[in-house]
Amino acid sequence: MECKLAVSMMHDYLDDDLPELQQRELKEHLLSCTDCRAKFKELEQTDMLMFSLMHQSPVASEDLVSRIMNSLPQVKKERAFVTWIKRHPALSAASVFILVMLMSSVTFWNQDRQLVVRGTDLEQVVIQGNTVIVPSGKTISGDLTVENGKTQVYGEVDGNVTVIDGSLYQASTAHISGQVKSIDQAVSWLWYKVTNMFSEVAYR
Amino acid sequence: MEGRLTKLALKGDQRAFAELVELYKDKIYHLAYRMLNNRHEAEDIVQETFLRVYRNLDRYDDKQKFSTWIYRIGTNLCIDRLRKRRPTYSLDAEMNDQEGIDGYSMIPSDNVTPETELLLSETQRLIYEAIDSLPVKYRSVMILRYLQDLSLQEISDVLDMPVTTIKTRVHRGREFLRKKLEPKM
Repeated sequence: MECKLAVSMMHDYLDDDLPELQQRELKEHLLSCTDCRAKFKELEQTDMLMFSLMHQSPVASEDLVSRIMNSLPQVKKERAFVTWIKRHPALSAASVFILVMLMSSVTFWNQDRQLVVRGTDLEQVVIQGNTVIVPSGKTISGDLTVENGKTQVYGEVDGNVTVIDGSLYQASTAHISGQVKSIDQAVSWLWYKVTNMFSEVAYR
Repeated sequence: MEGRLTKLALKGDQRAFAELVELYKDKIYHLAYRMLNNRHEAEDIVQETFLRVYRNLDRYDDKQKFSTWIYRIGTNLCIDRLRKRRPTYSLDAEMNDQEGIDGYSMIPSDNVTPETELLLSETQRLIYEAIDSLPVKYRSVMILRYLQDLSLQEISDVLDMPVTTIKTRVHRGREFLRKKLEPKM
């Protein structure tokens, strides 16, 4: 056996990585080669010296554990929330979307406190402060929508009348050919907004 | 056991995490102390290692040994620290204006008291010096092999290198140490 191969086998032996058959070959070589025997002894001693250090670990400061424990971030609850979001991205996105929609609708609803009158034939209508009047003897051709105000009908309306967040008074002389709708609550107001949006889109 | 502790710790059980710290703090400290040869820095590394373990508990893979994982974090932090240290100053270079002061005296002094110094035998001191003179890539392998008693396969998992590379490095590292220690044996 060449000495170079023998050295490589010595290392493998020290690494517990030499098959038994080759261990026997190495032993034979060592018996016949004094140089390799000396080298093996040195390597073995180095190995043992190194292993002996394992049992002499230096001691860290006594307060190291408490320092470690105190340095840990205390954000467990927030983390649970964050991981939930990470696990359900679609649901999170949907709920954020709904939240934003709801907020904007609510703020719009609160803003719309002023009187709004919509219709095709508004010249015939008389507005006094917060009150919208259809005078007797006058005829409005088309729909009439009043938001946030009182509505008094004495004349004729040739279409639908819609009252949102307000009151409707119909005199005995009044004549409304279409539907009469009165919307008071926020929910139905929202419903009205949505259906209105769709029908508007549909008609366009 | 570590697997159970990591699961408890992940659920917010601080005592389970403290148990993990107790189990591994000395091993990581020993590793870092031998890598960096400085007590303060070694304690920094231990603290940083456990902080990273804590932050990444949810990413810990059960199929992997916990020891492999924590040694990887610790070893990488040490190597990073050594890398940052080197370009700033060379330890052996003397400073220009102050005679006889070199880089070694700039490292915060170890709080080794004279008593503990005495306990350190001449042989131990020789081995420590030999380890410190090893190039970093051999040093990390030899420390994991001997001070932590890891198998070649475990070292290859920790350092994320093929076993054949680890084997070569152990052989060369051992040869290097033998040459350093041989004249004194």
